[in-house]
Amino acid sequence: MRVPRRRTLLLAGVAAAVAVIVTLLTTGLGKDPSVIASPLVGRVAPNFTLPQLDGPPVTLARLRGQVVVINFWASWCTECQVEQAALDRTWQQFQDSGVVVVGVNFEDSTGAARGYVRTESVTYPVVEDSGSQTALAYGLRGVPETFVVNQSGRIVNRVIGPVDAAALASEINSLLRARAQ
Amino acid sequence: MNAAGTLRRARAGLPGLLVLIALAASVATLVIVAAGGHPPASQAQQVQQIAAGLHCPICKDLSVADSPAPLAQQMRQEIAQKLRAGESADQIRAGFVAAYGDSVLMSPPRRGVTGAVYYLPLLVLAAGLITAFMVLRRWLRAPRPDPPGAGSPPLSATQRRAVAKAVARLREEEPG
Amino acid sequence: MMSQLGTYLLLFGLVVSGYGLLAAAVGAKAGRPGLVESARRCAFGLFATVAAANATMLAALLTNDFAIRYVAENSARETPVFFKALSLWAADDGSLLLWNLILAGYIAAVALRFRRDRPPTFPYALGALFAVQVFYLILINGPARPFASLATPPADGRGPAPLLQNHPLMAVHPPFLYLGFIGFTVPFAFGVAALLAGEGSDQWVSVIRRWTLVVWCFLTVGLLLGALWSYSVLGWGGYWAWDPVENVALLPWLMSTAFLHSVMLQERRGMARLWNIALVIGAFSLTTFGTFLTRGNVLSSVHAFAQTSVGPAYLAFLALVLLAGFGLVAWRLPELRTPASLTSAISREGAFVANNVLLLAATAIILLGTTFPLIVEAVSGQQVTVGGPYFRGSVGPVFLLILLLAGTAPLLPWRATNRSRALRRLRVPAAAAALVVIATAWAGVHQVAAVAGFGLATLVFVTSGQEILSGLASGRRGMRGGAVRALARGRRRHAGLVVHMGLALVAGGIIASSSLGQQAQVTLKTGQATVFAGQVLRYQGLHTDRQPQRIVLTTTVAVTNPGGGTAGTLDPRMNLYPAATEPIGSPSIRRGVVWDLYASVISLQRGGGSATFRFYRNPGVNWLWLGGVVMALGGAAAAWPGRRRRNSGGDPGASAVHKRAAVEVGAR
Repeated sequence: MRVPRRRTLLLAGVAAAVAVIVTLLTTGLGKDPSVIASPLVGRVAPNFTLPQLDGPPVTLARLRGQVVVINFWASWCTECQVEQAALDRTWQQFQDSGVVVVGVNFEDSTGAARGYVRTESVTYPVVEDSGSQTALAYGLRGVPETFVVNQSGRIVNRVIGPVDAAALASEINSLLRARAQ
Repeated sequence: MNAAGTLRRARAGLPGLLVLIALAASVATLVIVAAGGHPPASQAQQVQQIAAGLHCPICKDLSVADSPAPLAQQMRQEIAQKLRAGESADQIRAGFVAAYGDSVLMSPPRRGVTGAVYYLPLLVLAAGLITAFMVLRRWLRAPRPDPPGAGSPPLSATQRRAVAKAVARLREEEPG
Repeated sequence: MMSQLGTYLLLFGLVVSGYGLLAAAVGAKAGRPGLVESARRCAFGLFATVAAANATMLAALLTNDFAIRYVAENSARETPVFFKALSLWAADDGSLLLWNLILAGYIAAVALRFRRDRPPTFPYALGALFAVQVFYLILINGPARPFASLATPPADGRGPAPLLQNHPLMAVHPPFLYLGFIGFTVPFAFGVAALLAGEGSDQWVSVIRRWTLVVWCFLTVGLLLGALWSYSVLGWGGYWAWDPVENVALLPWLMSTAFLHSVMLQERRGMARLWNIALVIGAFSLTTFGTFLTRGNVLSSVHAFAQTSVGPAYLAFLALVLLAGFGLVAWRLPELRTPASLTSAISREGAFVANNVLLLAATAIILLGTTFPLIVEAVSGQQVTVGGPYFRGSVGPVFLLILLLAGTAPLLPWRATNRSRALRRLRVPAAAAALVVIATAWAGVHQVAAVAGFGLATLVFVTSGQEILSGLASGRRGMRGGAVRALARGRRRHAGLVVHMGLALVAGGIIASSSLGQQAQVTLKTGQATVFAGQVLRYQGLHTDRQPQRIVLTTTVAVTNPGGGTAGTLDPRMNLYPAATEPIGSPSIRRGVVWDLYASVISLQRGGGSATFRFYRNPGVNWLWLGGVVMALGGAAAAWPGRRRRNSGGDPGASAVHKRAAVEVGAR
């Protein structure tokens, strides 16, 4: 009786090992491997002072007390055009409620950036990050990426890819309400 | 008779001695090289070393040192700037980890769960050594097979010739 | 119309392979040779069907049939004809077509090879082969349908990914890699068949060995071409990035190398049967795992195909392969344990055990390191990277030990008889290795691993060369027919030694390029020069070339020797494709015997008025390519059908003769 017992033990061992492997690999299936969590969410937003395309420099620390939506974009980025309307709408809707939308140009030329602003009719302030120091401080892995900073200067959310106007609006509203209380 | 025998034994031991000398010389040289250490790194080389330990965030598998991407270039410039400002390699790496997370390092951090990866090679080699030991021990302890001819049916003339041919072929294939 | 034709052809192929599976399985179980024969004939029909499906897709690509979604996404009107044809395997669905074609080709080859004498395991093996084909045809008829059509065909396609239409190497790297990968199905099928049929004898080994050797050659070439592509096309100056997909492609190669050595234990001494069958099943499991990793969107990689929904299917198949393969091994374990005996561990047998252990250790380390980010994220949610530095540090020492084994084991005798002779034959290689170590250290190399590595590579090279020469000498000495005939008779051993020499070249090349390379990044204005690697490099200007599918910006760099003589030019390029957000660079390489001068242009300023270059001095890279070719040729020579040994079929008498001869030789 010893041989069949040993055989079943071995078979059970193989089945168990395969089960462990499959379970492990299944967890990997659900996730998108290119999406990496940002360690900045919940922390104070890194400060920056960047020159506007046309206008005085913008310093993030001076905007404390307002909700700031920081959007990293580039003229060569096709997905940025997709979200442009949403960002403009957000600016139109909230600019008088203590919300600032700032566009940070990433790895681009001034001429191309100005051309984009003109063709897409961008109305909110746009700054240039030549040298990409701000992009590196924000852990940028591509464009577009959008950071929502609350009135105390903390990053509460990071969006990879084009933003959705409705989601952004509801997030801003909840921040404004929280401060109002 | 004694002298001839001793001489013969010495001559027989000569190859082993030669190999031993070669081995000793090599090991000694390696020890000297190891003790010699590395020449001091210039600032450009230091930037390369730190960059080689960082994973280019927009590439799939290249380090910041290897990647031609513009963001990687800008990261190298930032590393050079921080070195000139007096930051240490650890501080520079920590700065990037604060923005990008642990995945910007080319190798996982040594503390915590992720440090396990550094023990894996040792565990694997230990397991391999144990396996080799067990296998060899079983093979060494096994009883010898019966000498050829004992108990096996006698071969016909054709089969004997076939065996002789196969033996000759095997001997040719294996001059040793 | 072509969309429907392709879809029906693939569906028909699925039906045919399903019938083949059933016929082979029933024929094997019920012992009905007629059914087995009809299953064998099916293989040819299957191949013709899948080939026709591939031809249909090729025709669709060449005639710009954008009604088919795959063509619309991977080809465009301006794409050159050559690259239109290559788009067949540019993306996931299309490459699955090629995969099915190669698999059907292998099954047809097996059917052709065994049209007359067959081992008793043949019906089971055929069934296993058809089973694998059924899975891949289900995939191509289900979740990943290349012939899916678009309701409104666009006027022009998107074109292939820019990186995949930049270089003709795209023509050969995937096919060779697939020939290697998919080929492991055949040894696996025969291995599983041997376990199913309860084959106690060693007949399955010679069949599996030759097929594995051929597949190993293909995989060696495929990996080499991948490294060549990475070096010549991607422009980062290196040839191996420890990318997850690269790593998993290496694993079956390591395992099959272990098998090809360990199989000699079984042929000569009847030992290591459990090891061998486990290695064969392990190699195929690793290729299946590699396919899952590449196409299942589990890890981020250069090779990962776009988001697809086939991940769960591949995972299920992997689970099936592991359960069936290793389950059968566990079931047949008592019969696989061979009565082996050994006089001493310091012998050829002991060396093969060490070889198995080291190669498996390397496989395990690379596998665990590659999947570690996945494991950590599942356990603690952290996201980490495991990259080149880790693998170099952990696997490097193992590879050095393998080199040591390759340099000494061919001298060790079987059964540890006559060991002093082995020591005698080690004199010259050991002396050569010591000399190289001292010379390298003297020349100023300060990395210990590099110095040791050069010494070990020399050891391997000189040992192999010495053994080949002594084989030639014994031919001249007494054997009939002289040196060439002696070489031909000891063909397997000499071919193996040639492979080892190739390995020494590859090792030397890898060590030289990793430890002795130089690089510099410099921005030059037009007319400005810099000094690098003892040569003067002057940027001469930019030339723009507008092609239908891209704009090519070529920079010219003049290379002059310090004495003043011109050494030539480098012309690294930037290619601008409409579909790509960033330009794709093409490096320019001046190849030399000892080192390459490599230039890459990474950015242009002021319309070409100034350019930023990366220059590299890469020593030893050409030894890598040469060594790889030598390894593949050596493997091919070993696999070449020699004199007809009729012990690869159902001839038990021949096997007994062979065993008896082996015993007599060993008892010397």
